[in-house]
Amino acid sequence: MHILPILHALRRHRLTSLLLVAEIALACAVLCNAGALIAARWTALRVDSGVDEASLAAIRLQGFDADDAGDINARVLQTVRAVAGVQSISIINTVPFGPTVANAGITTDADGRHFAGVVDFYVGAPGSFEALGLHVVAGRAPTADDAQPVHAFVPDEASVQIPRVLARHLWPGEDPLGKTFWVGKRRFHVVGVLDHLSVPGPGGGEEKDADWSVFVTGVPGPQFAGSYLLRAAPDALPRVLSASLAALRQAMPDVVIDEPYSRPLTELRQAYFEKDRFMAGLLLGVMAALLMVTALGIVGLASFWVQQRTRSIGVRRAIGATRRDILRYFQIENFIIVGAGVTLGLGLAVALNLALMQVYELQRLPWVYLPPTGLGLLLLGQLSVLAPAARAAQVSPATATRSI
Amino acid sequence: MLKMTHLSKSFRTEVVETYALRDFSIHVRPGEFVAVTGPSGSGKTTFLNIAGLLETSTGGTYELDGEDVSKLGDDARSRIRNGKIGFIFQAFNLIPDLNVYDNVDVPLRYRRMPGAERKKRIGEVLERVGLSARMRHYPAELSGGQQQRVAIARALAGSPKLLLADEPTGNLDSQMARAVMQLLEDIHRDGATIVMVTHDPELAARAQRNVHVIDGQVVDLGEAPTLRMNAQAMG
Repeated sequence: MHILPILHALRRHRLTSLLLVAEIALACAVLCNAGALIAARWTALRVDSGVDEASLAAIRLQGFDADDAGDINARVLQTVRAVAGVQSISIINTVPFGPTVANAGITTDADGRHFAGVVDFYVGAPGSFEALGLHVVAGRAPTADDAQPVHAFVPDEASVQIPRVLARHLWPGEDPLGKTFWVGKRRFHVVGVLDHLSVPGPGGGEEKDADWSVFVTGVPGPQFAGSYLLRAAPDALPRVLSASLAALRQAMPDVVIDEPYSRPLTELRQAYFEKDRFMAGLLLGVMAALLMVTALGIVGLASFWVQQRTRSIGVRRAIGATRRDILRYFQIENFIIVGAGVTLGLGLAVALNLALMQVYELQRLPWVYLPPTGLGLLLLGQLSVLAPAARAAQVSPATATRSI
Repeated sequence: MLKMTHLSKSFRTEVVETYALRDFSIHVRPGEFVAVTGPSGSGKTTFLNIAGLLETSTGGTYELDGEDVSKLGDDARSRIRNGKIGFIFQAFNLIPDLNVYDNVDVPLRYRRMPGAERKKRIGEVLERVGLSARMRHYPAELSGGQQQRVAIARALAGSPKLLLADEPTGNLDSQMARAVMQLLEDIHRDGATIVMVTHDPELAARAQRNVHVIDGQVVDLGEAPTLRMNAQAMG
C-alpha cells in the first residue's frame, strides 16, 4: 500500500539503492549457477554403480609380461582363494571407480552409419558377473558358454548385458533383447538388461550418462589379465583384502601391486569423488560468503538509513504511524530493492550460464534453481532488515519535537 | 476538548527525580485558540508532547475529546494522533525524501483512507494553503514559509479535532511569520481548536487565551487582549 511513496523516496537515494540492487543481482546470478554446479556434483556423488560395492574390492597388478598372463592369472586366483574369508576371486578388466580401460564408439548398424555414442566395456571372466551382484531386469545373466576370447580389449563377437538406460537410448520404445550393436566390425548381441551398471569413471568421460556401459563375458588371456575382483563379507572385506595382498606379495614377489587401485570399492568411490567433494565444498563456502556479504550489505544500508532518517521516523510516528507501520515501511522498501536485484539477477544467472557454457562443458542452467534462489534472497533480505527495522520502530514520536 | 488535571511528568535518574510538569491543570474548550507561553525549560514542550500523545505523563489524568487517554497503549495513541490531532512543528518536519503531495499524503495513508478521497483532500488543503502549483516540489526546493504551509496542509488534511503548534513561526522571518499566523487564524475562524506553544508575546497576543507556564506549573491563565496591549506597549 505504501509502495509508490517508497519508490519516490528511493529515487532520492538512487545511487545507494542501485549499488545494493547490483550486489543482490550479482549474488543471485552466482548463487543460481553455483547451486546448479553443486547439485550436479551431488548427483554424481550419489551415482548408483549397480554393483554390491560393500562386498567388493579390486586387485590390480602391474609390470608383468603379456606372455606370462595365463600363469599370472592362475597364480593370483590360487593364492587369493586360499585366504580365509574370500567368497570369490575372478578376473575383470576394471571395476566401477577404477581405471577406464575399454571404451569405444558404437553404431546400431553394421555399416557404421548410425553412431550411437561412446560406451565403456566391462570384460569379466565367468563368475565375475555374479560376484558384482548385478541385477538383471530382462533377459538373462551370462553363462560360461558366452565367454569369448579377448582381442585388443574386447571380444570380436559376444553376447552382452547392458543397463536399461543405454537400452532405451539405443532402441527407444523397442525391446532391446536380441538387438545388435557394433564397434567397427565387432558385433555384440544384447541378451540381458541390467537395472544399473555405471561406467568406471562416471561424469568424467564422453559417455552421456553414467549407465552407458556394457558387460561382456571374456576368456582370460594375454589381453585380459592382471585385474581381479575380490568378494567377501562387507565387515570382513578390509581384513580379507589386506590378507590377500600380503599373500600375493609373498607368493608372487615378481609382480607389482597397483596400490591406488587395489582397494575396496567403497574406498575407490571415495577417492574418485574427492575432487568433486572439494569443489562442492569450495562452492558452498563461496555461496555462504556471498550470502553473508549480501546480508551484511542489507543490514549496513538499512542501519545507515534508519540512523539518517531518525527524525523522519519520529515525524511519521508523531503523525500517526504505529510501530508496525514503521517496521512494514522498511520491510517493503527492502522487498522492492531485493526484488529488483533478484529480477535482474535471474536474468544475469541465465546469461552467466550461457557464457560459461561457451567456455566449459556445462549443462544449461535448469530453471528450477531460479525460483528457490530468488525466494531465498527475498527471505534473506527480510531477515536482514528485521533488526534495523525493529530499531526504527522503537524511535519515539517525541523525536519530532526535539531540536537537533 | 483537552483537559489535563493535576498532570505531572518527572524524569528519574539514579540520584534525583526532576519534574518537567508538576500539578499541571488546563482545560481547552472546542473551538478555542490557546497560546501556551513561558521561558525556555519551563515545560512548554513537555506539555505539548503529552498533549499530542508523543509522551506519556507520570501522574494525573488527561482527557482528549472526552476520552481518558492517559493510560492508552502505543498503538491506540498512534491512532488518536493520526485521527484527532494535527501537528505543526517549529522545524516544519517535512519528510525530505517525499514531495509536497506525498508529504501531505503520509498521515492519510496511515489512516488507510481510500486513494480517491486522499487525492481530493490533498488537493483541497494544498489549495487552501496556496501551494497547489508546487505539489511535485521537494521540501528543499521550497522557502521556509512554504514548507510551514505544507506542514499546516499536512496537519489539516486529516480534519483533526485539535491542532498543536510548536513555535510555528520560530524558524521564519517576520513576513513569512505573519502569513503563517494569518493562516492559523483563518483555520481557527473556521472552527478548529488550536493550542500553540510560543515564547513570542506578539504571537501569543493573537490567540484567544494565554496560559503561562513556569517551572512546569501553570501560573497564569491570562486573557489575550491584556497581553496584546502589553506586547504593543513593549513594541
